Amino acid sequence: MNRVAVIGGGGFGQALAMAAARVGRNVTLWSRSARQPSGKGIESTTQLADVAGVELVFVAVPSPHVAEITRELGLVLDGSHALVHVSRGLVGDELSTLTEVLRTVTPCRRVGVLAGPLVATALAKGEPAGGIVGSLFPEVVDSVREAIAGPALRIYSTQDVVGVEIASAMVGLLALGLGYAQARGFGPSTTAVLATRGMAEAARVGVACGASERTFSGLAGFGDLIAAVAGDSRPETLFGRALAEGMPLSQAAARAGAYVEGATIAAQVAAFAERNGFEAPISTGMAALLSGKASPDAVLAQLMSRPTRGE
Amino acid sequence: MLRRNLGVAAMLANRVARAVCSPARDAMKLLPSRPLRLPRLRTYVPGPADPKIFWFNSERDDIVHEVVRRIMERYQGDEDVELILNDAAYNEIRRHEARTDEGARGRLDYWRSIVRRLARMSSEGKHETLRECATKMAFDVAGNFDPRVYKFAAKAVPGLLTAVMNPSNMLRNILDGGARLDELVSAQGPLDKLRALQRKGTLVLVPTHCSNLDSLAIAWVLLREGLSPVVYGAGKNLFSNPIISFFMHNLGAYRVDRRVKASLYKDVLKSYSSVMIERGYHSLFFPGGTRSRSGAIERRLKLGLAGTGVEAFARNHSRGIKRPVYFVPATINYALVLEAETLIDDHLKEAGRHRYIIEDDEFSRVERWISFFSRFRALESACVIRFGEPRDPFCNRVDDEGNSLAPGGRVIDPATYVMRRGQPVVDAARDAAYTRELGQAIAADYSSETVIMPTQLTAHVVFRRLVRATAGLDLFARLRHRGDIAVPIDELAAEIGQSRDRLLEVEGRGGVHVDALLRRESPERILERCLATWDGYHLRSVARVVSGSVIAEDPNLLLYYSNRMRGFASEVAGEAPADRAAARDIASMELRA
Repeated sequence: MNRVAVIGGGGFGQALAMAAARVGRNVTLWSRSARQPSGKGIESTTQLADVAGVELVFVAVPSPHVAEITRELGLVLDGSHALVHVSRGLVGDELSTLTEVLRTVTPCRRVGVLAGPLVATALAKGEPAGGIVGSLFPEVVDSVREAIAGPALRIYSTQDVVGVEIASAMVGLLALGLGYAQARGFGPSTTAVLATRGMAEAARVGVACGASERTFSGLAGFGDLIAAVAGDSRPETLFGRALAEGMPLSQAAARAGAYVEGATIAAQVAAFAERNGFEAPISTGMAALLSGKASPDAVLAQLMSRPTRGE
Repeated sequence: MLRRNLGVAAMLANRVARAVCSPARDAMKLLPSRPLRLPRLRTYVPGPADPKIFWFNSERDDIVHEVVRRIMERYQGDEDVELILNDAAYNEIRRHEARTDEGARGRLDYWRSIVRRLARMSSEGKHETLRECATKMAFDVAGNFDPRVYKFAAKAVPGLLTAVMNPSNMLRNILDGGARLDELVSAQGPLDKLRALQRKGTLVLVPTHCSNLDSLAIAWVLLREGLSPVVYGAGKNLFSNPIISFFMHNLGAYRVDRRVKASLYKDVLKSYSSVMIERGYHSLFFPGGTRSRSGAIERRLKLGLAGTGVEAFARNHSRGIKRPVYFVPATINYALVLEAETLIDDHLKEAGRHRYIIEDDEFSRVERWISFFSRFRALESACVIRFGEPRDPFCNRVDDEGNSLAPGGRVIDPATYVMRRGQPVVDAARDAAYTRELGQAIAADYSSETVIMPTQLTAHVVFRRLVRATAGLDLFARLRHRGDIAVPIDELAAEIGQSRDRLLEVEGRGGVHVDALLRRESPERILERCLATWDGYHLRSVARVVSGSVIAEDPNLLLYYSNRMRGFASEVAGEAPADRAAARDIASMELRA
């Protein structure tokens, strides 16, 4: 493989392009508006048709735009292309995953998701790191490895695609919550309880969607969450901190500098859990908090007063 | 000619009746288990207009050899060969040890001698033994197609089947040639398109499965609608009835013995079905595997042998043969299910998976067949077979010319799905992934192509009442409420009417189909006809009327018929909170059962 494409010129899209260029790939980087090439081996374009000749396409646009952009992209692709998204988003109240969207709006079937503790800044710098690809297709995993793996980046794989996508989305939500809690002055103990119980909740959501619980203790789940706890200053954490400081949503989003999926996921997960008859107290509390329906103290009191049970 | 057909038909009907009535059933076991074939007086030379399957007998040896060649190709190393042979021997010895008959001893000795010799065998000897075992298995699987039987069946079976259904008018029915059967079994869906596609590519039919009648009903519908006969794997247990065995065996069915657990046998089956599809034999598989025990529409499909359609496509393309493969989902919808009582009991005992070969259900009792069919007079149609839109092996819809369509309607080349760096390749892991996705797509088709029959909606409404009245209990506690729940007839009819109207809205959104009678009749008539249909057919009373109220007599059977509605429970429930809660309970039964 010599050429890969990245759809989306945001922070993560650029970092992916740089990671691929670092291991010697030629990269076509598509973004909506024209931009300067960000490095050697990277060509910028605004024409989706320019990516038709590649084998692997990374989709790195915010989830609300994925359907629209990939529908258009699908017009120039066929069954031979591999599509891999990196989004932390889920679509609608049924928590449809983005690989489902890719399969529905494009002719591509060889789809996958790239997730794990990959942060734009670290990826761009080439610090030793690891990620995980979820795909049913071994070929997709191979393509991703060929495209970005190298001495500084290990790529693991799993067939539990839904698991990776739900885990990644829930970690985004939890990172937001952690940022919020830390900014309000809570210490490591609070962080640990929120993170651990949050991951248990994430696994419940995943299992209800057909995922395997194991995925949540791997790179896509705890691996990713540990990076957030360790303070990788990802957009979700910054967003949570800004909210805790009393900024309105729009200002907080500007501070985060990237689209934060976690802001909408809380409400989706809460509705899904209620409809499917299981408990998701952290998502429900965060949904109330983010929509302004409950004060932080009320949410905290609500979470702490729940009856405790066996873990 | 006609008189001879009549004679044979009457004789067969008699034999069915005798063979299936209980004292004679033991005698059946004495008959040869190897199906009978008619003597071959002269070789039938297929004409150009004949369906592909007419060529089967002349290709059979080739097919078997190709299957064996692929097995040998797959197991090349000495260790692999030893492993697969040991696995086969272990499983076969276990199976035959449990049997007591003469034939078992011979097979036991055969496999034991292989185990004894295997460790000392030369590399050549091992491969030769594998070849021998695979060849034996492949010939056991391979079917037979006798054009004479086909032509006879085409003429006589409709009349014969109708005669079995309505014995009082046997002679007239046979002379009618099945006019009544046309009314009893109807076909819906894109039939013209299927007739066109069967000339362009290979059809792989994948219907739902809830009764042993399925294969007969679908075979008859294919014949009547001008669709080519299909080859299909039939459980070896079906071959235990000599009459059915005769037809199955001579109409292209291949034998699948689900008791054989050896991996080698599974490999042989997979290669066999792949080779058949590659060679253009239209095929049929029940992807649910066995009959749905709960009565629900199959939700999780592993596709099993049907998945070999994907492999067949890839193999053909890697050899430059561009013949398309089309998967055709279909639902088979009965107002009454012949084996309902056994199936639901089996499901509730959770024994289903272990007992999937049931040899003693209603299917083998002729008196049940008769009352089964005579019940349909009240409902007009016994069975609706609905074909769904065909898909290519990669889930894409296809147009009337058989071209694969991308989302948005652009024509795309299905060969790109098996390309890797510009070359078509065969890749088992990739094809397994395609197969999984295809299974999901077909399961979704099943749901939207289901035709809801009057008995199913009625049972659902009554069962919902039962669930409402037993809030908070688990399923088994609910099912113990036999004859406890009474609903006034007019109240029940009103609820049936409301649920029917909501179901029609779902149909309007393309989510399901509604049977003609259910759409047309007044709720009172629907209820009345359903009660009449159930009454006297099932050994247990499903529901009966006592002083103006309907009593839910048999919650198990109500559950069985209601289960077909499970996926639509929330959509047809009323506004009342109790109704909604009951619908939620019913929908969530899905997760557990």
